[in-house]
Amino acid sequence: MICIFYFYPMIQALILSFQSGMGNNLQYVGFDNYFRLFKDPTFISALKNTFIYLIFQVPIMLFLALVLATLLNSPNLKFRGFFRTAIFLPAVTSLVAYSVIFKYLFATDGLINQFLMMIHLVHEPINWITHPFWAKVTIIIAITWRWTGYNMVFYLASLQNIDKSIYEAAKIDGASPIQQFFLVTIPMLKPIILFTTITSTIGTLQLFDEVMNITYGGPGNATITISQYIYNLSFEYTPDFGYAATVSYVILILIVILSIIQFKVSGD
Amino acid sequence: MKKLVFAMIALLLLLSGCNSEEGSSNSSGGDEESNEVTVWAWDPKFNIRALEIAEEFYDGETEIDLEIIENAQDDIIQKLNTGLSSGTMKGMPNIVLIEDYRAQSFLQAYPDAFYDLTDYIHPNDFADYKISPTSFDGKQYGLPFDTGVTGLYVRTDYLEEAGYTIEDFTNITWEQYVEMAKDIKEKTGKYMLTLDPNDLAQVRVMIQTAGKWYVKEDGTTPDLADNEQLKEGFQLFREMLESDVAKIVTDWSQFVGAFNSGDVVTVPTGNWITPSVKAEASQSGKWAILPIPKLSDPNAVNASNLGGSSWYVLNVPGKEKAAEFLANTFGSKVEFYEKLVQEIGAIGTYLPAAGSDAYNLSDDYFGGEKTVAQFLEWTEEVPAVNYGMHTYAIEDILVAEMQNYLNGKDLDDALKDAQAQAEAQLN
Repeated sequence: MICIFYFYPMIQALILSFQSGMGNNLQYVGFDNYFRLFKDPTFISALKNTFIYLIFQVPIMLFLALVLATLLNSPNLKFRGFFRTAIFLPAVTSLVAYSVIFKYLFATDGLINQFLMMIHLVHEPINWITHPFWAKVTIIIAITWRWTGYNMVFYLASLQNIDKSIYEAAKIDGASPIQQFFLVTIPMLKPIILFTTITSTIGTLQLFDEVMNITYGGPGNATITISQYIYNLSFEYTPDFGYAATVSYVILILIVILSIIQFKVSGD
Repeated sequence: MKKLVFAMIALLLLLSGCNSEEGSSNSSGGDEESNEVTVWAWDPKFNIRALEIAEEFYDGETEIDLEIIENAQDDIIQKLNTGLSSGTMKGMPNIVLIEDYRAQSFLQAYPDAFYDLTDYIHPNDFADYKISPTSFDGKQYGLPFDTGVTGLYVRTDYLEEAGYTIEDFTNITWEQYVEMAKDIKEKTGKYMLTLDPNDLAQVRVMIQTAGKWYVKEDGTTPDLADNEQLKEGFQLFREMLESDVAKIVTDWSQFVGAFNSGDVVTVPTGNWITPSVKAEASQSGKWAILPIPKLSDPNAVNASNLGGSSWYVLNVPGKEKAAEFLANTFGSKVEFYEKLVQEIGAIGTYLPAAGSDAYNLSDDYFGGEKTVAQFLEWTEEVPAVNYGMHTYAIEDILVAEMQNYLNGKDLDDALKDAQAQAEAQLN
């Protein structure tokens, strides 16, 4: 079963990545598709954007998740259950539904702009969706909103496994809560941080729904991701499945490389 | 371990063998015996309603049972591409609706997938500019359906408020349009139109008035770098954005919302927008439909096209029945087109229907004008262009360059870069 549903498609895709042509008229072109990647400005923008999301969004999100998890783990906090559920809820909403709602919230005459104008933070509406910079920011806000709670749950679970006596010992040694966070919590959570970093990296490299639904890759490829480019190559343009398979393999190779680096950095 | 690897390789070889056999046997989802004809289409108010009316009018020899499956256009493209490329026709419908801009990419990418309709319809019965997108290699594969002919929908009350008449907007150039737009914005505060920076539909409309497209007449050579008309389109697009006469929208619902709520003075678009404009009953009598503005090119005309789609029969069992159904309704029945235009305002490109009375009725919503007759008149003037197969791929390149141009890049450089990129990418 595993062979049929995992390995067979993978090998077929690899064979496909050496072919090119419209729809079914495929011919073998050797490594041409792979050379084409380097000369393809759309692919380069997609790669660049994906890495921007990766570099900015993943650390922000994971740090936020860690802080939230620590706060929500505090025994003194009231309504802990409510806060935990509220922060986790975005992770179970429909990807498409939340993207569409974000699109309307961030529209030029949307709620976010109205709010920002009301509190006099900005004088004129920000073109969230149609400005290359702000469109990226919108996507980053959207994915952070959705996935922070999800990562927080992992941290919460492992925080509860940390022996309380370690914190007590730290307190006796005179460590402030911030020092406890950086010197006790983070090192203790290292394996789980590695796990969430890898899953978030993979998730970001495969990012599709938000970009597709909020900005459609625009304005002018400013937010396009590799996954969306694969979709465009297969379904939006005259289909070139061979080249799309090549681009898919690039994602695979990137995930492997980044995961190896992360393992090495964490010293495991 | 070694054994496992050998077993896996053996399995792989076996599976790839199965695949090639499957591909050649061309098994299919259709059923020779049943009367069922399945259709994939989008837009319940327009295309799907047209199918339902067609079923009422069908009186062919064999009985058919029409099963209409509604899908979003994007989903249809996706399903067709995955289905057709898998080599099996299982699960494919008998009839499918395809947008004219995309038709050639399907016809050429999957040459055996579509059924030749040449014996069923007379291409001469249809508007000229619909024939080249729907045919390939001398054979007629598509049955041309809606026109996509454009018009300039204008709010007459806003024009009056700003001191203009509809004559001022009749048969004008885009340049004049933009000048008046600035004035009207100043006087009334209303936006002149909506624009989506990610969608160059407006530029497509502009260049077709001059008989130009993103590709040369052969349909494959990109025509961007020295395309004067495209250049003018880009300049106008930028000017409309920068002079703030255009309200920026990012999707269909914001686009429709902008004119339904009275935010914009004009909607320069395809005639398929009529039902959406009329959906706002309170604005009845406030709209008029004028000819679309043209480019400054001396050969340009005040007529263009946007969108429009046609019916295709897939090469699966039951194709003859499906082709007969189309020929018997969309391909030959004037009464069918009369009902179509009366009930949903859909204007087909079947020329013999043009003489009928239903096409000469006036529409109170648009100030009592004979809107259908007008559209038909413009349909005949639309310059025919070869859309080729890469409209959306080129447009994505152009959208990116448009963004650079808006950010200050030299226009000639932008188009030259777009040309180089298109040449490198399209095969």
